[in-house]
Amino acid sequence: MLQLLQNEWMKTWKRTATHIMVVLLLLSVIAIAAITKYQENGLSVPDNENWRQGLEMENKDFQKQLDEGTVSPDSIEYMRTQIAINEYRLEHDISTNVDYSAWDFVSDSSELISFAGLFTIIIAAGIVANEFTWGTVKLLLIRPIGRAKILLSKYISVLLFGVFLILILFGFALLLGAILFGFPDSSNPYLNYHDGTVTEQSMLIHLLITYGLNSINLLMITTMAFMISSVFRNSSLAVGISIFLMFMGGSVTYMLSTKFEWAKYILFANTDLTQYLDGAPLMKGMTLTFSIVMLCVYFIIFHLLAFFVFKKRDVAA
Amino acid sequence: MASVVELKNVSKMIKGRKIIDSLSFNVEEGEVFGFLGPNGAGKTTTIRMIVGLINMSDGDIYICGSSIKKEFEKAVQHVGAIVENPEMYKFLSGYDNLVHYARMTKGVSKAKIKEVVELVGLTDRIQDKVKTYSLGMRQRLGLAQCLLHDPKVLILDEPTNGLDPAGIREIRDHLRMLARDRGMAVIVSSHLLSEMEMMCDRIGIIQQGKLVDVQLVKDFVSNTEKLYEVELDRIDEALSAVSEYMPGLKVSKSATGLEIPVKKEQIPELVKLLVSKEFSIYGIREVSKTLEDRFLEVTNEKGES
Repeated sequence: MLQLLQNEWMKTWKRTATHIMVVLLLLSVIAIAAITKYQENGLSVPDNENWRQGLEMENKDFQKQLDEGTVSPDSIEYMRTQIAINEYRLEHDISTNVDYSAWDFVSDSSELISFAGLFTIIIAAGIVANEFTWGTVKLLLIRPIGRAKILLSKYISVLLFGVFLILILFGFALLLGAILFGFPDSSNPYLNYHDGTVTEQSMLIHLLITYGLNSINLLMITTMAFMISSVFRNSSLAVGISIFLMFMGGSVTYMLSTKFEWAKYILFANTDLTQYLDGAPLMKGMTLTFSIVMLCVYFIIFHLLAFFVFKKRDVAA
Repeated sequence: MASVVELKNVSKMIKGRKIIDSLSFNVEEGEVFGFLGPNGAGKTTTIRMIVGLINMSDGDIYICGSSIKKEFEKAVQHVGAIVENPEMYKFLSGYDNLVHYARMTKGVSKAKIKEVVELVGLTDRIQDKVKTYSLGMRQRLGLAQCLLHDPKVLILDEPTNGLDPAGIREIRDHLRMLARDRGMAVIVSSHLLSEMEMMCDRIGIIQQGKLVDVQLVKDFVSNTEKLYEVELDRIDEALSAVSEYMPGLKVSKSATGLEIPVKKEQIPELVKLLVSKEFSIYGIREVSKTLEDRFLEVTNEKGES
């Protein structure tokens, strides 16, 4: 198995396209860093002695709006969260006067996960389909190794590639952030609001969770691309559908969710698990367990399809 | 001699049409078996079934006693194959390609890779990317890839397709050597008859998915009676003279003389006759029937019956 992975890894990395992907990813981190650095004056908080009064004013303002009952349900949730966090700050003397630091930069860079996802999708879409296009599948499948094992090694190497890209992203963002923005003197905790209580979280752990949860979306779409690649043997189709769904799936699902109850069974309604950590879920009646079960169901369906078709296929072309 | 590959009533249905119709034959150790048929007869389909790329609808194939259907991994470990063109990863070097396939089989050492590369004569270029290779070199790399794990059966689908005469000769010599020196069974498919004649010990003719005939190449080509072409003048007169003297012979005219099917011992007699009638003989030569003639004969016979 290890040797099969080695093979896939070699085939992935000996192609120029892969190197270009990594370079693009790094360049985009640099671009974000440059823009942020350029605008840093605008972002940095002036040394405000009166931050306490500011927060108190904000809370009063929010409370007034809530009492009037004119705000939309979405905003209610947001305001409640803000009030709770602001109170926590006042109580524990956690100042809002924080300079933009490496942590913030890493957090901003998490937007690039979808970029890394894009590349992973391209790899996933090609890893099976290309063998068919190149004709090399004929030599690959006449080795004393079962087809399921070959497909599994390909899937695992796609996942490894995805993890590798995200690690590169995280590591490079942290490095670049540390150089350009530095770390804050006192480590500022991230304040997490959940079910009416505010808890402190170390910044590093918070970021790791953010990256991890964002990766779930990536994992599901990558798995889908892999399935399409293996079922239809067409990498363009796999890339096209997956990227379309990756960018459109969320908004289409959101639109559907306002009208139809069944929208909660759509894959994209469940991929964003952060909705349960802070804020309200997309639809009423959805819970973390529900989403995880749905994700597992989709995951298993994708794999059953991919493996079944790949195992049974007559390699004729 | 032991049978290395056994096909037993193998059939393949695609969309209700029988592509391959209960095919059965054996291939033995140390022999080169030619698989001959016109385009679309089912050669490639059969070969793909032997290596397990295509499932068969009925029957079974055994390689060294293991069923390719039920014990795929065990059966296929004895097989080295090139199916159609030797497609390799173009962006990898020849060596990386071999390493790639070596990792997929147990117990292929670095030394073995080197040995195989030397055998096919690619030592100088093995570190170059495959996209810079000529077709002949790719074919040789394909052969190297099949030989890595010392298979007992070598299966080559149209191995000489697109090669120049030198390349064809090279492949032929390799195959002969492998069968003779290493006792491998070799299965070659082709529609190039002249090729098969020089390469194979035995050939099976397939037509419309059915095995029409299996024969030794020797028997297949040579008949007891041979055809001689006699080059002479006054062809029409000579034709009637010979027909008169040797009735029952199928004498026919050719461009420069007569074609007469006789036994060797009858030739002096024939010459005496022609000389006595004052025909000028410019030459006598044997016209050996080619595989091609026989092939057309056989396929036509079976097609008509």
